Order: sequence, then structure tokens, then C-alpha cells
Amino acid sequence: MNAEAKVVSADLTVMAGANPARVARPLPKDLPELLGGRYQIERLLGVGGMGAVYRARDLLREQFGEPQPWVALKTLSEDFAEYPDASALLYSEFALTARLSHRNLVRFYSFEVDPACQRAFITMELLKGNTLDHVLHQYPSGLPWPEAHRVALSLLEALRYAHDQGVLHGDLKPSNLMLGDDDIRLFDFGLGQAREGFLKGLPRLARSRFAAWTPRYAAPELLDGATLNAAADVYAVACVIYELCSGQHPFRRQSAKQALAMELPLTAPADLPRALWPALRAALEFDPARRSTLPDLLRAFRNQRPTTSLLARWLRRTA
Amino acid sequence: MKVAQRLWSSAGRTDTGKVRERNEDAFLDQPQQGLWVVADGMGGHQAGDLASRLIVESLAELPTDLDFEDRLDALRGCLHRLNRHLSLGLTLTEATPDLLVGSTVVALLAEGSRVACVWAGDSRCYLLRGRQLFQLSRDHSLLQQLVEERGMSPADAARQPGAHALTRAIGAAEELQLDILELESLPGDVFLLCSDGLYQDLDHDDMTAALLRPSPQLALQRLFDLALQGPARDNLSGVVINR
Repeated sequence: MNAEAKVVSADLTVMAGANPARVARPLPKDLPELLGGRYQIERLLGVGGMGAVYRARDLLREQFGEPQPWVALKTLSEDFAEYPDASALLYSEFALTARLSHRNLVRFYSFEVDPACQRAFITMELLKGNTLDHVLHQYPSGLPWPEAHRVALSLLEALRYAHDQGVLHGDLKPSNLMLGDDDIRLFDFGLGQAREGFLKGLPRLARSRFAAWTPRYAAPELLDGATLNAAADVYAVACVIYELCSGQHPFRRQSAKQALAMELPLTAPADLPRALWPALRAALEFDPARRSTLPDLLRAFRNQRPTTSLLARWLRRTA
Repeated sequence: MKVAQRLWSSAGRTDTGKVRERNEDAFLDQPQQGLWVVADGMGGHQAGDLASRLIVESLAELPTDLDFEDRLDALRGCLHRLNRHLSLGLTLTEATPDLLVGSTVVALLAEGSRVACVWAGDSRCYLLRGRQLFQLSRDHSLLQQLVEERGMSPADAARQPGAHALTRAIGAAEELQLDILELESLPGDVFLLCSDGLYQDLDHDDMTAALLRPSPQLALQRLFDLALQGPARDNLSGVVINR
């Protein structure tokens, strides 16, 4: 570190035990308040490590009397906006997701580049509700089983649909699942990729060139540098479903590699019907060759009838 | 409620300072809602400005039609939710395996004469009562730890390497412990919320003299004039609240 960087770093706010200042570098322009002459940024909704999502008002639609002119607007964080392939990365997310139409998947509107600041951005529907990580904080032992079953089934159906259309998600985790009043929505395909043999001609991002993951939900093979595949999505979705049912991460919040090294035991969530445990456990296999497939897992959850329905129907009949 | 909230007048300001290229501080000044916040994004980490902005903009949208206890619960709940979002939900890349997006926060919530101060990190809350200045918050920093646990004087502790590093912040660790101080305010009380960039180059007497000025705007003007006469190496932010 040179002397000048030291002078600057002395006043940076840093966390005890963390690496102090990184090398000073030119900073990109701040995000303007109005993008594309049309989208008025209102507030920051979330930060994702690589991207940030804002709530914006679409002034054009508002001008034509739209009573709900709000959209969610995603840009790459300013650090990544400097990355040579940043716009291609964002376009890849748009191109993959815009091909999908499913009630449990976020709907994308447009991909644009602001002419003045040259920042690329995506607009999409503004989701209402709470993300699963937030909901689980209110339900520390997991959602009641009928609700957990409904959410898990919707999630699996949405993922199966995306896989059938040739799209892998690549970053499934509780904070990428929105639980609204009437349904769930899976979002953030920022690390999504086309499956081998699908959607030829779309820009592909090789994991060797751009590796990214959320450690607790990444399949062990991804952490070892393998390219994204359907089996990795199965591992991640199984972690999410386990957490949904029990409130706990299957491996005490450890990454797959740490869990493997520590030989952590895997126990069935208390409220999960016994018949479903073999399917969920098989989806959490560390070895991708032994891991169950998405259709297997979905079939198991479809075959499990909602536990309260018979009782509820019987109660209604006798009331 | 509206009449009660007219008890308060306030003003807020932030400045990049003389050395930094960007401002990673954010503040909220809502006297009608009885809510004021200063957040200082963690420098040296990517997206420090996003973290402080996320905190301020999320707190600005909290419901205001609740009683004091419920509002305080909602404020704490929001900070815990943001902490989980920033500490657990981030996607990491090979280039940023140790990515930390975090921020300090100090918030003041008031209803009638009841006041609660909530904080994590080294942004501070001061109270001027009569002509005496009190520091209500206690920093979550190594420096403070050295003073409290090893009995060092603040001057000696400040000379230790890394003394200004934080021991708590929003987004820094999975578990967050907020400090909360509740008190009854008196007519004439003046509160100051500020980031370390504002207080680190000002002495006690300068701050007292500035806060004795007759309006929050004038007090803030004086504080910033003084701080900007110094080296102003860090971003500086302050909110002055008069009852």
C-alpha cells in the first residue's frame, strides 16, 4: 500500500478484524435521480452484493394516468458498473427472465441504458410482501406445515417451469423469494444461465470468468468451480425448503464444503411429513451424481396431499 | 399528536469533507414524525453508501400511526431485518469473497416528551441540557473497549493501531445487538446526532457553544463551519433537534 492510500485509509470506517482500506481507485459517477428520462428513483429497496434494486416511479405511465406507476429498477452496484462485462451481465439476466412467464416468477418490463450516464438498468414489477428470510425471522421454527407445503410447491413449480424453458436460477436463497398476500414470487436471476443446449446465441457467462454465489446455499460443486447446472439449483432449493419447514438451515448455516468437512449430521425437520424426508434428503446430497432431480423432488411434494384439507372438509361438513 | 410533534424543530446536513471522493453518510430529518437518523456507511468496503442509504430510506417509511413502544419495536425490527439482509443475503463473487456491506446508525425517536436513542457503531447522540453537554451514546469501537476494559485514557487508546475500528454495525455480523437509551426530554433540550467525521475534530466546548445557538440551523452552520476549518478527512453529517 502506498503512503497516499495510508493517509486516506486512516479515516475510513472499518470493522474490527476486517481488512482495512482497499486500494484507492477512480470512482464511477453516482446514480442519477432520473434514469432514461422516465424513471424517478424514489428509494433503495435492497442491496445484493453485485446489484442494487430501487423503487422508481415511471413518469411516462404516470402522465397517462396510471394509478400504480411504480416499478422495481435494478442496476449493478457502482463497483460492478466499472466491470467490463457489467452491462452484458445485466442484459443476460433480462434476456433469460424476459423469456419466462409464470405466476410465481417476477415479471420483467425492459432493459435500458441511460444515455447520459451510460448505466444499464432493468425495470420489473414491484413486488409486494416480505421476503422469506424476513418471514422466517417471525417463525423461528418454520412456517406451519400446510403453508410451508404450499410455498414449497409453488417454488418447485416455478423452478421446474424455468428449467423446462432452459433457464437455471443460480442463486436460490430465502431473500430471493417474496411471499405476498396471495402468492409467492421467485426473483433475482442475476446469476442465471441458459441450460446446456437451450437458448443458443444468448451471451453466456462462464463461471470460470465470473464466479459468484451465496455460500450457504451454493452446491459444493459450484464452490469447487464447476459450471452452473440443474443439480446445483436442486441443492439450493432443497436448502430453502428445509429452512421453510424448520426455520433452520440444514447445515447450521455452514457452507456445503464446511458441512462436509465437519461431517454435520442431517436431521429431518420435525413438521415435515415422514414420507417427504427421503426426497428432501436426497436433494441435499453433496455428491451431484447421487442428488435427486428436480422432477423427483417436485413429484414428492405434489403427491403429498395438503394435510389439513381432509380434516377441514370433514369439519365443514359436520359443522 | 400533531400538536405534540410541534415540540420539535430540527435541521440536518451532510458534507463529503475535503479528502473523500464520495459521501457514504446519510441522514433523515423528520420533525413531524419525531424521527431523526444519521448513518455512516463503512468505508473501505464496497457499497458503504448503499448501506447507509438503505437504512435511512427504510426507516423513513416506518408506520407513524402507532404508539411509542410499537414505533420503537418497529424501528428495532427494521434495523435487525436490514442487518440480516446485509450480513446473510449478499451474493459473493471471486473478486469479493469477503464482501461486507455495512453502516453505523444512530436514531432518535420522540413522542411528546418521551425520547429513545438507538444506535450501533460510532455515530453519536449528544444532549445539551442547560449549558451542559452529555454524550448519550457510547461508541461501539475498539477505542471505547480499550478505555472501558483496559482502563486506558481516551488519548492513549486513540494512539493504538486500529483504535477507530468498529465492534458493532448494521450488516457486520449475523447477530446484531442494538443499544437503546430511553429518557424524558425537558423544554430547551438540544439533541445532536452525528457521524464521527463531525465530532472527531471538534472539542467539547466548541460543540457546546455551537448547540447553544438559538436555532438548529444556526447550530448546524456553526458545527460545520468549525469542522470544515479543520482537515475534514472524513464525510461529516449532523442533525440538530431542539425542543
